[in-house]
Amino acid sequence: MERVDLVTPVEKAIRILSRLDIDFYDVVASYSRSLSVNIMGKGVKEASAQIDVGIGVRVFKNKGMGVAYSQSLEDADVEAIVNQAVSFAKVSQPDPYFKSIPGPSKAPEVPDLCDEEIVNLTLEDAGRMPKGMIDAAESVRSGAMYWGGFGANYSRGCLMTSTGVSVESEKTSTSAYLQPVYREGDDVGSSYEFDLAISLSEIDFYKVGKKAAEKAIEQFGSRKEESGSLPLILSPESSSSLFSALLSALSGESAVKGRTFASGLLGKQISPEILEIGDNGTIPGAIASSTYDGEGVPRKPLNVISRGRVSTFLHNSYSAGIMNIESTGHAIRGGYRGQVGAGPSNIKVKPGDSSLEEMISETKRGILVINASFPPNMVSGEFSTTIDEGFLIENGEKRHPVKNLMAGGHIIIDLYRNIELISKEGRTIGKGFFFPWVKIKQVKLSGK
Amino acid sequence: MKDLLELTVQKALNEGASFCEARFFEERGNSVSIENGIARSLSSGILRGIGIRVIVNDRWGFASTNIPTRQNVEKTLQDAIGGAKSITAQTGEKAKIVEVKPSVDTIIHDVKIKLEDVSPEEKVKRMLEIEGAARNFSDKVKDTFVYYGDVITRVIVCNSFGTLIEEVAPRTRVFCRVIAKEGDNMQDGFEGVGSVAGYEIIENIEVEKFSLKAAKRAVSLLSAHPPPRGAFPIVVDPKVGGLFIHEAFGHNSEGDLVFSGQSIIANRLGQKIASDLVTIIDDPTRRGFGHFIYDHEGTKANPHVLVNNGVLVGFLHSLESVAKIGGKPEGSARAQSHHHPPIVRMSNTYLAPGDLTLEEILEDIDYGVYLAGSQYGYVESQKGQFTCKVEEAWLIEKGELTEHLRDVAISGLTLEALKNVKAVGKDFRMDMPGMCGKSGQSMYVDAGAPHFRIDGIVVGGRR
Repeated sequence: MERVDLVTPVEKAIRILSRLDIDFYDVVASYSRSLSVNIMGKGVKEASAQIDVGIGVRVFKNKGMGVAYSQSLEDADVEAIVNQAVSFAKVSQPDPYFKSIPGPSKAPEVPDLCDEEIVNLTLEDAGRMPKGMIDAAESVRSGAMYWGGFGANYSRGCLMTSTGVSVESEKTSTSAYLQPVYREGDDVGSSYEFDLAISLSEIDFYKVGKKAAEKAIEQFGSRKEESGSLPLILSPESSSSLFSALLSALSGESAVKGRTFASGLLGKQISPEILEIGDNGTIPGAIASSTYDGEGVPRKPLNVISRGRVSTFLHNSYSAGIMNIESTGHAIRGGYRGQVGAGPSNIKVKPGDSSLEEMISETKRGILVINASFPPNMVSGEFSTTIDEGFLIENGEKRHPVKNLMAGGHIIIDLYRNIELISKEGRTIGKGFFFPWVKIKQVKLSGK
Repeated sequence: MKDLLELTVQKALNEGASFCEARFFEERGNSVSIENGIARSLSSGILRGIGIRVIVNDRWGFASTNIPTRQNVEKTLQDAIGGAKSITAQTGEKAKIVEVKPSVDTIIHDVKIKLEDVSPEEKVKRMLEIEGAARNFSDKVKDTFVYYGDVITRVIVCNSFGTLIEEVAPRTRVFCRVIAKEGDNMQDGFEGVGSVAGYEIIENIEVEKFSLKAAKRAVSLLSAHPPPRGAFPIVVDPKVGGLFIHEAFGHNSEGDLVFSGQSIIANRLGQKIASDLVTIIDDPTRRGFGHFIYDHEGTKANPHVLVNNGVLVGFLHSLESVAKIGGKPEGSARAQSHHHPPIVRMSNTYLAPGDLTLEEILEDIDYGVYLAGSQYGYVESQKGQFTCKVEEAWLIEKGELTEHLRDVAISGLTLEALKNVKAVGKDFRMDMPGMCGKSGQSMYVDAGAPHFRIDGIVVGGRR
């Protein structure tokens, strides 16, 4: 594989910027190579390779910011974006909250973030990968129509700043996704399964395909249910969106400037003491790990929810500056194009002492939620979600799948407050995330 | 650039490809972000590159590069050919494409005020005016944001049928978001405009109908109530109607979802799937955020009638989906950038108007919910189950709008909902410019409708 030089164009930009009358600047360049195999209909449809290269510049003058980027690393284009960012910085206005950008810090390298097998993967190799996934689904039941794919990505980045940060990074990631659709007359059995990892050897294609088909078949015979107030038992995949939403609402300037539903929760009890959530971007080999965050600040583990209480926000340098504290290393930079935000890395919810079996057996009537996401309005905290896949539980037993059933217009904080049980078992995703089964007390549901 | 694309296509054919498409893509964008009276940042960027798609051994291969030199493009072609060959032996979909008459054309969209003729300083000044109207509306307004973005997209499509199309389209967009606060209660209001247009759409903005409207909504939502729960007759405004048509029906009509078994209406062509009042059209030729003349396969766009008086009469097509399921190519394949292959997308999708006034639609409803303003939606097309989140609502009691409601969403089953459309208004509007996500690609779309009534829709609420 060709090795595109990222350091030289970044240094060129830095050289030009250092001669100008500006306050702060950072320059980032990145290279990525993505191989993907798309699955549609009866199986594999298309194999593709994308190479993306780009460079972005942020310039601060009198607390005003100018940003420019280009997908060309040629000298003339680098010079052009530098000039553009500088002229924009002079037009933009002073942001009273802006203090500075971070200086250099040394951190021990987080190991195992780059899989040589992916670095050296050819498209020909990639084309063969999804076969095991489709074969596994077909072995459960043949004749599905599919939607899904396999992807493998290798990326490198280089960040240099006026404050002396100079960081290079390298990372791989891979994913597999399969959604089989079975039809019996007008009845539909459909579900999906996925996996994510840093290394190819960690993806179990057979397991993904088999589980996707088994889950899909279970969805035949779904029925509408009456509106009512019922407990929900959330799968790890569903609880992941519930908890990810909370950590996002505790992140960055929106949290600090009082613009999210979680802004006022710092130091407050939001759930029973059984809820413990940590964020750790330093786990070796984990999907959301990196040695440094998007501003070159070392990652570090953080207890975000301790015994049901919010113990910290997740900061980049801008939001930390507003609170006059140090960044927690949670800056997220959207590649060379984007500006810098903040957000969680690997989220781990501490396992509880219940089990899925206990949760179901102790439920007289409730809903087992296999797939639903909880995208709240980040300002008001209101969310509305259709139970995309779920089952009615009656007298301690899982019954038929449900359809057209919605948990709508709720305030997400109420769900955290009403957590009743957390399971011992759960799902680890990409070696870094862990989400358990979670039982929530009565939730008002809208149905027929 | 055209020479390089033609050379690449010829080379692909020489190397055994039965079809090749080489597409140049360039997008030059600028943005201004205003927050609470401060122009916090200005940004610009250029995306540029080439995507190459081939059929080799009856399989698709695709590769892209953003270094469009001759040497790199040659390498990218080899990657695309290698991609197709890599899956030749795998179980799956045979690549097909319908052969069409070649088109050769250049389109440059006219604008009244060119984007490049407006200085960053002027843009900042105008955005601050727009933002100021919202900020000064009430002391309950906590935060105000205005985001301005413009892009000029240049696409050149060259394929082995002899097609060579160049289209240059400017798009301008601005949105305003307002957060209002009272005690612990925070609500937000949103307004957006966008179209294939120049800076004239910004000059034409009247703050009373834009940023001030967003501020008024955010403040009024502070005292709104949660909706009742259950299945009710609903009446939707043109924005919620557009969202419903896009999510509940539009995705199901996309030819690639149809041939891959992911659509609930796959086997229903020619059948009655909706009430007689329902006629649904996707029209790329209409000025809107989803407007274009040629799609990214070089097919000239036409309006597509999808449902005519309740009967499913067509799907949206790429050249591939026509080859697989029949129909007429009318230009519905678009790609986010050179890094993405063209896939079937909606453009400006709408429900055609009927002949009733809003008052006439409401008067028959004893108890229901009136929904206004769209936030977001999604559909599980394979099951035909959709969700739409709206900005605000009102209770309908004995034909009158009464209690103001917030935190409202609807959920339904596509085939039931379309049959339960009971009344359609004549007050058509299409002003829902936005980005639609599908298969990892984001695309400019618009949607609209008149006011209309649907019965038996599940309304979510905590009451």
